[in-house]
Amino acid sequence: MAAVSVTSKEQYNFDVVRQFSVMSLVWGVVGMLAGVYIAAELAWPLLNFDIPYITFGRLRPVHTSGVIFGFGGSALFATSYYVVQRTCQTRLISDALAKFTFWGWQAVIVLAAISYMLGHTQAREYAEMEWPIDILIEVVWLAYMAVFIGTIMRRKQPHIYVANWFYLAFILATALLHTFNNLAVPVSLFSMKSYSLFSGAQDAMVEWWYGHNAVGFFLTAAFLGMMYYFVPKQAGRPIYSYRLSIIHFWALSFLYMWVGTHHLHWTAIPDWTSTLAATFSIMLLLPSWGGMINGIMTLSGARDKLRTDPILRFMAVALSFYGMSTFEGPMMALKSVNALSHYTDWTIAHVHSGALGWVAMITFGSMYHMIPKLWDTKLYSQRLVYWHFWLATIGILLYIIAMWISGITQGLMWRTFDDFGNLKYSFAETVAAVRPFYIMRVIGGLFFFSGMLIMVYNIFRTIRQGAREAVELEAKFAAKLAKAGA
Amino acid sequence: MSKEKLQSQAVQTTGHAWDGDLQEYNNPLPRWWVWAFYATIVFAIAYWVYFPAWPIANGFTHGLGKITYTDDKGVRKTTDWNTRSDLMVDLNAHAKLQQPYFEKVEALPFDKIAKDPDLNNFIASAGKPLFADNCAACHQTGGAGKRGFAPNLADDDWLYGGTYEKIQETISGGRHGYMPPFGEALSGEQIAQLASYVLSLSGEQVDASQAEAGKALFHSETATGCYYCHGNDAKGRQVIGAPNLTDKIWLWADVPGAATPQKKLAAVETVIKHGLNKGVMPAWGQRLKPEQIKVLAVYVHELGGGK
Repeated sequence: MAAVSVTSKEQYNFDVVRQFSVMSLVWGVVGMLAGVYIAAELAWPLLNFDIPYITFGRLRPVHTSGVIFGFGGSALFATSYYVVQRTCQTRLISDALAKFTFWGWQAVIVLAAISYMLGHTQAREYAEMEWPIDILIEVVWLAYMAVFIGTIMRRKQPHIYVANWFYLAFILATALLHTFNNLAVPVSLFSMKSYSLFSGAQDAMVEWWYGHNAVGFFLTAAFLGMMYYFVPKQAGRPIYSYRLSIIHFWALSFLYMWVGTHHLHWTAIPDWTSTLAATFSIMLLLPSWGGMINGIMTLSGARDKLRTDPILRFMAVALSFYGMSTFEGPMMALKSVNALSHYTDWTIAHVHSGALGWVAMITFGSMYHMIPKLWDTKLYSQRLVYWHFWLATIGILLYIIAMWISGITQGLMWRTFDDFGNLKYSFAETVAAVRPFYIMRVIGGLFFFSGMLIMVYNIFRTIRQGAREAVELEAKFAAKLAKAGA
Repeated sequence: MSKEKLQSQAVQTTGHAWDGDLQEYNNPLPRWWVWAFYATIVFAIAYWVYFPAWPIANGFTHGLGKITYTDDKGVRKTTDWNTRSDLMVDLNAHAKLQQPYFEKVEALPFDKIAKDPDLNNFIASAGKPLFADNCAACHQTGGAGKRGFAPNLADDDWLYGGTYEKIQETISGGRHGYMPPFGEALSGEQIAQLASYVLSLSGEQVDASQAEAGKALFHSETATGCYYCHGNDAKGRQVIGAPNLTDKIWLWADVPGAATPQKKLAAVETVIKHGLNKGVMPAWGQRLKPEQIKVLAVYVHELGGGK
């Protein structure tokens, strides 16, 4: 096995994969810390300290961009570069371009975070970056696309593995979404401020076409790509159904593009757009579940391993949350359900069951599998992986349950009328009613965050151990050579 | 899954292998999955038939759903399903309950409204969310106000008058409190004297000779003219919103919060020196209906201090 690893190190560009993996963890810590802090600000507004840079409104995009683009994005760069090389049996087409995507992407996250705290924002959710950063993203993304597609074209395998379809769909869709959603005119060449090319309801619909497909392709399709490689690898089992993977891939890609408008139910948009978004969301349910079925059925062939392997547990829980939140989403997209859920914390619960339960958990599982291979060693501690697993799982449950209760409480209180036909509750009363659950959310977030810190420690020790082993191996090799020479 | 089944799957792989051991079975689609997928399509079609759904040419399919509601002018209307009509149905239902009360509020004079227990219950119910959503942001829940920001509405001290009519006028037209700055017209010593006098009016411990000098300044026609607005007795004039300076109620100068006599003096001095141009209450006449403002006037009046 060692021989294989040595050759694979030369064969593949793992440097960029290592860099992205480490930065994914770093951004995970930063983004989640920001998340815990703003959750605490909502429970204890005093924590804003009247310092504009750290108020909720400015730190919130630091949190979302930090976890989605910093943590999730870097993890996707890392795993996609890893998977595409290994399944195409070829090196990345260009080391220089790959390196550029690494530094470019890190610059994007740093610049975005700083500009948010200074108050620059396009006020488009998940696309708050102002135009200069958008241009940088565009360039980095095109480079990424060139590296990925070029590598696939140079493959030594006749067939393209399913994980690569999903990564490719994610890269293409994100390029499209990012470009059109950020069509804006800067106020001047030296101003950060810009105005969108679209206006009114159209602008809102473009934004949510972007916003929901960011969820669909960035946070769903791409992580399904991750799942399709790392689940069968870790389980040591073949994927359950090739046929299912084809059908659900195309159905998912086709249907997702239609559903963004369900974020705008009951607003000033044409009613027919709202209906289409609701129905396509419903039809999206089973195609989404296709990925879960393929993952779960693959795992179920390795049930004995599930008991002993904490990495597989991360993956199993990730798939369960994926199944749950892709069921919940279509339900919330129905007009009548949305009338209750919209603008409430139910949406926050839904997003986090997807983001913590699915995206983060599948990333943790994949990273625990991949990082020891990258440094040619074993995980420093399996026990710490267990600890991480339980802290993360409990954290998610606390978080989601708190937000479900709070969301439904808000939704019901907002629509309660008394016998005179007057609203029964003022807005401030609903805030007071949900506060205990805001505190519960902070606790859940702290659980999840502490799990993340444990992971960082475990990975840090693993990498150090890998480096030490490499030095020892080299010393042994040198000694052998010297002996042979003598 | 049984052992046999697993083995039967083993022969069904697609025959490709990636990265050493990555393979795929070629199991058929689960039947329940296929049927459930069809079911969602059927559901979608039913939804399209009922609601407006597909764009065609310059319009869209309107769907079979119908809604009947009463418009602003009291006319019954039936339309294809749409969000606005759906909202109107809800508004109609609540308006039907509110209507008789609002009509009574509109028709009756304030003193009659106050004596009608049924109407009072309605005002408590309708006024609460109106106050909470429109007034409480500044005047705080319960109307206790906040020093340095917005006056207390639950006490019997009124800047512009505490009768029903005056409160209604304040809500409807808004207010803008103003006191000119005296920092340039007066010396520091004079300002200190005036502040001492103002504090003495509320029974604070001050240097008696300073206060005496301040009193002269307060009533001086040429130096300051404080009494033009605050009145000869310093009890204020509600016509122009000049506050009573003798009632120990401090809206702008944080005298109760000041720990030492020096700090109290400084707090009042600041106001005299820089004046005030921030007692702004927005006008709600354009935002709320007259009957809602009337409800609010009674509600605020009943918070505790109405006259």
